[in-house]
Amino acid sequence: MMRIASIAHNTFRESIRERMLSIALLFGFILMVSTYALSPLAVGAKQKIIMDVGLAAISILGVLTAVLLGSTLVHKEVDKKAIFMILTRPISRLEYLIGKYCGLVIAIVTMMAVMTGVMVVMILSGRGQLTPAVFAAVYGALLETVVMGAVVIFFSTFTTPILTMLFSLGIFVMGSLSNDLRIFAQRYGGEAMKLVTGVLYYLLPNLQVFNLRHEAVHDLHFRGIDLLNASLYAALYCSVILFFSYMIFRRREFL
Amino acid sequence: MDVLRVEDLRKSFRHDMSLRRREVLHGVSFEAIAGEILGFLGPNGAGKTTTIKIILGLLRADSGDVRLFGRPAGERAVRARIGFLPENPYVFPHLSLIEFLEFCGHMTGMRGTVLRARIEEVIWMVGLESSRARLKTYSKGQLQRVGLAQAILHDPELLILDEPFSGLDPLGRIKMRDILVGLRNQGKTIFFSSHILPDVETMCDRTCIIREGLIVRCVGIDDLIRIGESRVEMIVRGCPPECFDTLDDYLESKNSTGDEFFLLVKKQDYVRTVVQVVYNSGGEILKIVNQHPSLEEVFLNEMLSEFKQSRVKTPEEEHTFIGF
Repeated sequence: MMRIASIAHNTFRESIRERMLSIALLFGFILMVSTYALSPLAVGAKQKIIMDVGLAAISILGVLTAVLLGSTLVHKEVDKKAIFMILTRPISRLEYLIGKYCGLVIAIVTMMAVMTGVMVVMILSGRGQLTPAVFAAVYGALLETVVMGAVVIFFSTFTTPILTMLFSLGIFVMGSLSNDLRIFAQRYGGEAMKLVTGVLYYLLPNLQVFNLRHEAVHDLHFRGIDLLNASLYAALYCSVILFFSYMIFRRREFL
Repeated sequence: MDVLRVEDLRKSFRHDMSLRRREVLHGVSFEAIAGEILGFLGPNGAGKTTTIKIILGLLRADSGDVRLFGRPAGERAVRARIGFLPENPYVFPHLSLIEFLEFCGHMTGMRGTVLRARIEEVIWMVGLESSRARLKTYSKGQLQRVGLAQAILHDPELLILDEPFSGLDPLGRIKMRDILVGLRNQGKTIFFSSHILPDVETMCDRTCIIREGLIVRCVGIDDLIRIGESRVEMIVRGCPPECFDTLDDYLESKNSTGDEFFLLVKKQDYVRTVVQVVYNSGGEILKIVNQHPSLEEVFLNEMLSEFKQSRVKTPEEEHTFIGF
């Protein structure tokens, strides 16, 4: 456990000292502040715009940062041979991967927490109301990022950063649409299309289950059980994908 | 007792987009005995780093066996007893020296005051000062010392060093040599690869020479005296130059300064004949010194013998074969 914590701590420290995280934070801050300029266009809906843009920024920047940071985490250490000094110590490759993943998640969660703080301040300063749905939506975005982090780690165990980014972003787009695609195919598609979308639905992460932005912005009711199910789904999906990452990484040779 | 035993290690690599594999280790076998410094010599591409990586579990051997402290090499408990310094170590540039060593210590299960005290000790040992500066500001030589510091931090019984003298200036090399000899004197076993032959000769107890993926010679440094023919250097005075005309078959070289001649006698057996000729011609002998082959000469002989030999390679030694 101490070894995993040590790897995670180092990964976190490395991530927060990267410029990319600061740039993502700055970009998110600019995006949220820009809603002040947009609010006069929608009279009476200023709070909704702040929430809508804020939650979208937290979700999308969270995933993008996870992909960009995560894609280089393992590869850089392999490429620079820093991994030699780690894996020759009494640490298993599973511990190494879990440590890297945890460090990445902690760094992204920190970034998302700061962005959430900015959004909350903006909502409260505009005398808006913070509903539980807002925090549920942030939590959903967090789960989405956690799942995408595992996907990135999976690809980074066997391919280059560029391909990791492309594959991960592809998974993100398809994972966000897989449910809609399946429904569409069931209604209008042929048997082959139904089969393909069905397989993709179960194979790819269903990221739509984490999306509660609509409920938060329109102050709609959400069920706690859905949030619990989403959490269990994220935990299961991450465990499975990290297991497969380990199976690949375990066999990997370092030239 | 063998701390490290490598037996019949074979390793092949596949070319990028092809099924053809190239065998780079053809049955490497050697052992390191507790408390010795074992040098691992060979030209570039001979298989030194590949062998080291297999020992450390970074590469898998096609066949053969590696035992560390009598146990299979991959075991976690075994890895806790090893320290490794890679060639040109990459240390995390975003960390300071203390942060980096703390990170390394945590991964070997060290913590608290024990770790902090040990960090101060190794920093002093390798001749670095604990500063808050990030490691990205360190020079190549300093990074090599940082690499050594992380390798010895957990006080391992076996140190495996890949080109430890690489990037060090002469003072740095002497410092590194002193540290390694000091560790040997504490009972540690050290196995290292190097190109810098004088350093190997100065500090090693034994050396193994690898060529084209095969160990061609494992020899104690003291045994070098017995390898090949020892030559004898003589300084003589007062002989007429023509007295050496009959000694062409006995002398490897002959140089003169004034009335002094520097003679290099090919074999010890020839000394008696040369001495007789010198005395018979009225000369006197000022000095006779036995000249033993240096490690460099032995190494070069082993490397050059490749060109002298026209051996037919066995199928196992063929470099390429079809495999999956």
